[in-house]
Amino acid sequence: MNRCHKFALLAALAALAAGCAQPVTRYGDSKGVETVTNEFGSTDLQTIAESMARSMQQAPVIVSGNLPIVTVQEVRNRTSEYIDTRAITDSIRSELQKGGKVRFAVDQTAMKQQTEEIKRQQGEYYAREQAVEKGQMVGAQYRMEGNITSIVKQVKDTKDVYYKFNLQLWNVRNGLLEWSDEKEIRKTTTRG
Amino acid sequence: MKHAWMLAVALAAALAAGCGTKKGFEVPGQAFGCPIGDQKIASMEDLVKAKVLMEGSRTTVLPTEMRCSRAGDLLRIDANLNNDSRSVKRISYKFRWIDREGMRAWEEEAWKPLLLYDNSNLMVNTVAPTNKAADFRLILRSQE
Repeated sequence: MNRCHKFALLAALAALAAGCAQPVTRYGDSKGVETVTNEFGSTDLQTIAESMARSMQQAPVIVSGNLPIVTVQEVRNRTSEYIDTRAITDSIRSELQKGGKVRFAVDQTAMKQQTEEIKRQQGEYYAREQAVEKGQMVGAQYRMEGNITSIVKQVKDTKDVYYKFNLQLWNVRNGLLEWSDEKEIRKTTTRG
Repeated sequence: MKHAWMLAVALAAALAAGCGTKKGFEVPGQAFGCPIGDQKIASMEDLVKAKVLMEGSRTTVLPTEMRCSRAGDLLRIDANLNNDSRSVKRISYKFRWIDREGMRAWEEEAWKPLLLYDNSNLMVNTVAPTNKAADFRLILRSQE
């Protein structure tokens, strides 16, 4: 066996060993800093949601302690990538709801389920005295909406992504902007 | 007249002593506005030691100043993080919220990444997520 044959045999054995290696699955920290790629990730979602919810809690209309009623509207994704903006607003809503300073009215996306449930309860199968009546829903005093934008710059070995998340709280009755805040995130990936 | 002089001197001395102490007008159970319970906090270093924890990889970045105030009924915190090294430091931080009984007042926060330039300061501020949060810890770890 010459030197070339020995080398080929070793390479074949190494390839076989690598092919046989079993994938390992472990649980990770859902709150840990995630830097697998520089696309929008869990750390960005958690950081934005926490920052926005904490800031909104200091808005005068919420500090007043009157338990304002808010409805969640769309956060427009103006980035070049797919981002589930509903996941961001859901996290903000959860944190504010748990904080106990805001109440949330049914939003546009949940309206269909809400009205269908009311209609269902008014059917012949439900007891009249316990079924909810039409016209009892409470409208929101404020609506929450926002935007997420990004600027992506890429050269040979470097990719830089800048995200800006903007959230606003509008007074439904008079159309005034009651609160607004932004959160910026920059991530840079370099090769080599 | 002599009595009046002595009284004036004593009053001036008392006033000077009162203004000279760091925590001359602190509310009992608070230092620099931050809740301390019955801990003895005589300086900013003591407060930083009492409120800052390291978890995971240790970092040399530490707060040099911490101040607390109230935003309505919520605890508000400002912490000035200092990187006194000659290199950029990457860390992550989170706050842990504690209620009056010493139990967790809120679920564990997500780690938030932070970049500090060499020889620089960065102010981190937050507000408690709930009015049940009566105390806090700032937790730091290195992301290097």
